[in-house]
Amino acid sequence: MKDITLVVENAVKTYGGVTALADGNLAVRSGEVTALLGANGSGKSTLSKILTGVVSPNSGRVLIDGAPVFFRSPVEARRMGISAVYQELSLIPDLTVAENIWLGHEPLRAGFMNHGEMKARTQSLLDLFSGMLKPNLTPDALITSLSPDERQIVEILKALSYDPRLIILDEATASLDSQQVNRLFELIGDWKTGGMAIVFVSHRMEEIFRIADKASVLRNGRTVGERTISETNERELVDLMIEGANALLRERAAVVPVDAPIRLDVQELRTAVLRGVSLQVRDGELLGLGGLQGQGQSDLLMALFGAIRYSGQIVLSGMPRQFKHPKQAMRSDVALVPGDRGTEGLLAIRSILENLILPSWDRYGVPLKMQKARADGTQIAAELKMVMASLHAPVSSLSGGNAQKVVIGKWLLRSPKLLLLNDPTKGIDVGAKAEFYHLLTQLRDAGTAILFYSSDDDELLGLCDRVLVLHDGEVSAELTGNTLMRENLVAASMGAAS
Amino acid sequence: MNGRLSRTFSRNPFVFSLILFLVLVVINRALQDNMFELGPLNGNLRVFIPAIFLAVGQTFVIIAGGVDLSVGAMVSMTSAILATQIPQEATADVFLRALLLAFGAGALAGTLNGFGVTVLRLQPIVTTYATSFIFAGIALAILPEPGGRLPRDITSFWRNPLQVTTEIGIPIGLIVITLLVLFWIIIANTRYKQFLFATGGKAEAAYTTGIRVNRVKFTTYLFSALFATLAGMAIVFGTGTGNPRAGEQMTLLSVVAVVIGGTRLSGGQGNIIGSIIGALILGIIGNVLSFANLDSWVRPLIDALIIIIALAIPGLISLGRRMWKP
Repeated sequence: MKDITLVVENAVKTYGGVTALADGNLAVRSGEVTALLGANGSGKSTLSKILTGVVSPNSGRVLIDGAPVFFRSPVEARRMGISAVYQELSLIPDLTVAENIWLGHEPLRAGFMNHGEMKARTQSLLDLFSGMLKPNLTPDALITSLSPDERQIVEILKALSYDPRLIILDEATASLDSQQVNRLFELIGDWKTGGMAIVFVSHRMEEIFRIADKASVLRNGRTVGERTISETNERELVDLMIEGANALLRERAAVVPVDAPIRLDVQELRTAVLRGVSLQVRDGELLGLGGLQGQGQSDLLMALFGAIRYSGQIVLSGMPRQFKHPKQAMRSDVALVPGDRGTEGLLAIRSILENLILPSWDRYGVPLKMQKARADGTQIAAELKMVMASLHAPVSSLSGGNAQKVVIGKWLLRSPKLLLLNDPTKGIDVGAKAEFYHLLTQLRDAGTAILFYSSDDDELLGLCDRVLVLHDGEVSAELTGNTLMRENLVAASMGAAS
Repeated sequence: MNGRLSRTFSRNPFVFSLILFLVLVVINRALQDNMFELGPLNGNLRVFIPAIFLAVGQTFVIIAGGVDLSVGAMVSMTSAILATQIPQEATADVFLRALLLAFGAGALAGTLNGFGVTVLRLQPIVTTYATSFIFAGIALAILPEPGGRLPRDITSFWRNPLQVTTEIGIPIGLIVITLLVLFWIIIANTRYKQFLFATGGKAEAAYTTGIRVNRVKFTTYLFSALFATLAGMAIVFGTGTGNPRAGEQMTLLSVVAVVIGGTRLSGGQGNIIGSIIGALILGIIGNVLSFANLDSWVRPLIDALIIIIALAIPGLISLGRRMWKP
């Protein structure tokens, strides 16, 4: 493979009146993993889109092997050997895995599609992740039938199918479980020795220290520093990302409330995925749910919220319940913060206020009490420190972290007694996470019972008093006190008895 | 097995319309004894050809996420052009020139639609609804009243193109359907089909993958115009005369045929074979109703019922699956 060096100098990009990137700089070369860091809205997505030709900078230069280049489309960037794994997935839902991977560069025979060749090559790409994929993930599987982690892997393989010299991984690990991440990192190691240059965008500090050689940090659209990973530490990078903020990692409760009333008692809950789960949550307890992706954590939360069918016994606030619809769960003061904020949680083109009061219309609707709604909305926005133009701006104008605050805010307006969180911090930046952790501990201390699923082990270890690890639809371990350690969590995730 | 079955259905939704089609054929046969004799078969299929052409063209546009509401007006325009340009004593030269003119006009019309949608970025419904008035106006300007008479050679050729014997030819409808299916099989094995489905499935994703989404959309309007011209041609050749309002009722029927055929109205999924079946279904419904001697107001009612059923079936199936699962 031909070596590559790519340099971005003083790149500027504005959308309308908004400056997304004020002074972006980056230098990458073959055999090196460069981490691109920054809080949400710091411009790293824009910078990586400039590299891939999706957007053109207003000014500044991109140099490849010393020569200035100007990409007008993703195709031109790809011709120079640059391909990207996008955060907003670039897969077509109704096409198959093979069709998606080879879209636009299908193997041809005499001008016609060579389906056999296409399937064979897809299979050999899938084999890179063999053992980590469900057997239904074949070249012929439709994207709609795949889970988020499988889609993410297909996306990675799609970028790889171009045999790039430079690959950009934009939050490529966000949906993967730890086993899949490990495999990806092994592959990245291979690519490095093969002479590929890698740009790695991630919110997970631990991953950056595992895989990157150097880190380039963006803040408010400017590149504010570049560090060699072996000569820096987490603290320094976080300080660079968020000026002077104290990112906290640990806020574990001092007291586990053993005598508080039991808010939720679940016995033998079964769904299509769950195979008999029992658990109890007390008021003022933050119970974590851990494990690999898709082991039934989402199913558990959805069942408790009445969003999917289940069998088993649920006792909430001392009363047996059988929720058939989220409406019933909401009436019993249960709230669910969904994982996929874009598709499940928010109406993107409607205003922030409308989104906030959507679940609470019973309180503001008849008679119409918009004054009160606005006052409550303003208060919750202030509590959550939302950064926004006004309550009437559309949700689509917010950054990822702030959009997630709207999802949480709309449920907090109902002051729930039981809060269900479905991987709420996925893809939000360190600063917003810190605020979110703080909020969670506040809620817990105020007596809310919280059931918290996270795919980030550090979060569970840092925040929760007790963690249930799910594996294959069953609770494989209950970790608390001294047993709540990373080794046990990882072991139980893999289904090993601790 | 289950997965494979549901994949077959989700990728080939026309399976349902095929079942509907067979049921209707049986009903039709019960009402019309000689249905499968060559004469009536040929006659029936020939009448269905224009609708089949329109449905095929419309399928391209709808798969790519648009819709073409000007196809009926293009049929009228073609009818007017051919009827005025081919006199009864036309020579081969004159005939070919007329065809060239008709297809040229069709290509221009398709270009206009494609321009509106991709360059001006107007909504497909708005663009093609607006242009339909232009094309309808042109048709009436060329040929204000129904008229014109084509050489007998053309109409008799169209009735029996492969003259195996003078009595029984291979029905032109079967020839057209076979050619269209072949055409689809060829298209389905090219990159173009992938681009088409990607554009309609998720245009932004297709764009970031490097597909020239606008170019793909543009070509669908050209296809649609080409097939509308063929439809107009089929009507003129079949009747031997021109009508500047020939396509007036045909636009929505073409959309309906596509929908019955299992192509998703929002794009990204579909099949030309389904649309052909959809057009045949609509044709046979007309046949059945005329043989059943029902009042004319019954026809739209039954059309509506069929459309609703065709649209609802996939939803009902997934509903059933959800209810059935624990």
